[in-house]
Amino acid sequence: MIPELGNFFLVFSMINSLLSVGISFSLPSVNKSFFLSATLVSFCTLLLSFVALEISFLTDDFSVLYVASNSNPNLPIYFKFAALWGGHEGSLLLFLLILSAWILTFVSLHKDHRYSSAFMNIVLFALLAFTVFLSNPFERLLPISSMSGSDLNPLLQDFAFTIHPPMLYMGYAGLVIPFGISMSFLLDQKSIKHLEPIRSWSVVSWAFLTLGISLGSWWAYYELGWGGWWFWDPVENSALIPWLLCTALIHSSIATNLRQIFINWTLSLTILSLAGSLLGMFLVRSGIITSVHSFALDPDRGIFLLFICFLIIILGFSLFFLKSYRRDSKLNMSIYSREFMFFMNNAFLVALSGIVLLGTIYPIIYEIFSGGDQITVGAPYFNMVTVPFALILLFFQAMGPLTKWGGKKIDSMNKIVVIIFSSILLSYLISEIFFSFSFYEFIGNMIVLILIQSLFLLVSKSYSSKQKTNTSMILGHLGIAILTFGITISSLNSIEKEFILKKDESVSLGSSTITLIETQLVKEDNYYGDRVTFTYQEKDRTLELYPERRFYPASRMETSEAGISPSIYKDVYISLGQKIGENTWAAKVQIKPLVRFIWLGAIIMFLAGFFARTKVKLR
Amino acid sequence: MRKQRRNRVIFVSSFIFCLFLASIFIILAMNENIDFYYTPSDLTSSKIIDKENLRIGGLVQEDSIESSLDSLETNFFITDLENSVKVNYVGILPNLFKEKSGVIARGYFDYANGIFYAKEILAKHDENYIPKEVKKALVNDS
Repeated sequence: MIPELGNFFLVFSMINSLLSVGISFSLPSVNKSFFLSATLVSFCTLLLSFVALEISFLTDDFSVLYVASNSNPNLPIYFKFAALWGGHEGSLLLFLLILSAWILTFVSLHKDHRYSSAFMNIVLFALLAFTVFLSNPFERLLPISSMSGSDLNPLLQDFAFTIHPPMLYMGYAGLVIPFGISMSFLLDQKSIKHLEPIRSWSVVSWAFLTLGISLGSWWAYYELGWGGWWFWDPVENSALIPWLLCTALIHSSIATNLRQIFINWTLSLTILSLAGSLLGMFLVRSGIITSVHSFALDPDRGIFLLFICFLIIILGFSLFFLKSYRRDSKLNMSIYSREFMFFMNNAFLVALSGIVLLGTIYPIIYEIFSGGDQITVGAPYFNMVTVPFALILLFFQAMGPLTKWGGKKIDSMNKIVVIIFSSILLSYLISEIFFSFSFYEFIGNMIVLILIQSLFLLVSKSYSSKQKTNTSMILGHLGIAILTFGITISSLNSIEKEFILKKDESVSLGSSTITLIETQLVKEDNYYGDRVTFTYQEKDRTLELYPERRFYPASRMETSEAGISPSIYKDVYISLGQKIGENTWAAKVQIKPLVRFIWLGAIIMFLAGFFARTKVKLR
Repeated sequence: MRKQRRNRVIFVSSFIFCLFLASIFIILAMNENIDFYYTPSDLTSSKIIDKENLRIGGLVQEDSIESSLDSLETNFFITDLENSVKVNYVGILPNLFKEKSGVIARGYFDYANGIFYAKEILAKHDENYIPKEVKKALVNDS
């Protein structure tokens, strides 16, 4: 009964969103409060539908196909709750719920945006139709074939997993809002003031995308068991592309708000970033590219998602070319102007997203044009190409805030020269003293030093002139600097070793010694396995690590839980390989300096977005 | 006015030049880092494949895993149910590596002794999951 109710509310919500799209275009005289109540109905019905599915999960209703394939009676209650977004259908429902919540927030804050919400509802409707007809989470499994259900993928039975998708979806769904705003702007060309909310909404999306992506990377780091934090997996890439485009959008919309420039560019970025996030969904769900995120795959679904994606692009760009805004203000492009810096920022960010996209879909292109030859594009491609682009981008990031709108020269040129030269010298010394010198280490650290010093200069300047500092910008850029520092040091200076150890045997790595102490059995409701105790000794410091090898009987899957001893300076990371014999294990130990800086930087970036949000005046 | 136009020409041409350099760089990087995918049957056929980076996919053949007890060396056969190729790998095996389940090995094939030297072994994080390529090979053969 409850699943049927959930399904009913889902269909109701779909019809409601279709009606509200129709009414807002055909009856221009309709009252403003109508839209508010229509979006409220959308949200409430979706919420009820979500609750219905949640009840099915919590009561172990395995007659529902989706519950049966993603849950298990032995699962702790917390994971039963989160199992809702462990698979394709449920995560789409969560996405829709978040999207309707964003639209509701938008409509209640901006009452004069009558067509904006209509365009957002078009996207909502398209995805709702997809859910109802092709990926319905309430589908029954009759007759009931299993009383226990299969299981939530053991790799997903984890805290970070439970919050990673909702955060990511808040970011993805948030990108629908700027799209709606710019579409309605194109439809009835009002003043440029109409575009103002794009900035704060893109900041909101960006902050949640940042958090979502970094949670995913953190999860991959400790849960997949091999100590990497970024694999250039198609799914990671398809989250990175909208993030890059959204970062570009933030900057471009700031220029639009303050100087009435880059207007057409901002408008096209809103379309591109939404298209990017939908394309990401298509890549993940269609299974056209092999990835660790193997959802249940179905070509029909893929085609339909691709169709929605093209629909958005065609709708967006046909409106754009028919009615694009032609009254751009005159653009000053002196290389010392803020305008030029923003231009470079956008050019490099869009180029980067293009590079990532190309590498991600190149296997498909290649297969089509070579008549079926299959290839994969390896991580070295991405590292090799993105790193130089990113470094140039970071240099402009450091210089940008020091320039002025319409500026023809830089005020404190000699200070900048000092910053650059001191950074070169300092970075050289750091690389020589602490690490064996390498080119990328030198360049990476140099850029980070330039970035931090320029931020420092900016803060001290605004203190002396008693201007307000832009906290959000400074924090955001500082987050990037810390992240870059973490990436540079940890990727170039990590050491690792694979070995076989018996009880009480030791192996040495660098200046440390690793000893296998004992093997214990562990048993929980949802899994059992071995826990191995290692000690890690360096000078007079001793750490204990407990990597595990688990077996999840419900899904008959074996996983390896890494033993990690985290600290801000370095992580010691041990993961277990195959069991060779009683008390004898293959294992891999890694020492990763400053790897925590990567997530520290990301958290600071998220907080930066939060500061920006509270500063915006709501009308 | 003329100065402005000259500036614009310089700007546009330098932009195109950068774009050109970047694309060459990207294409070169791409070509160096592509892995070609083959089945055991492709490797055992008479046509010689002289690619440096290969991936072969198939199932781990039953009773073919030989693990050394004092080193991380493992030898096993990958089969597409028609032909099989011996694979040599030194390192830790993925969690889901087991007999009769899907696997992809990355490395190079030595025609002199018919052994595939793997630098990396991939098995997917899902019990029922068979790599797309493997599935295709299995369907083609059956």
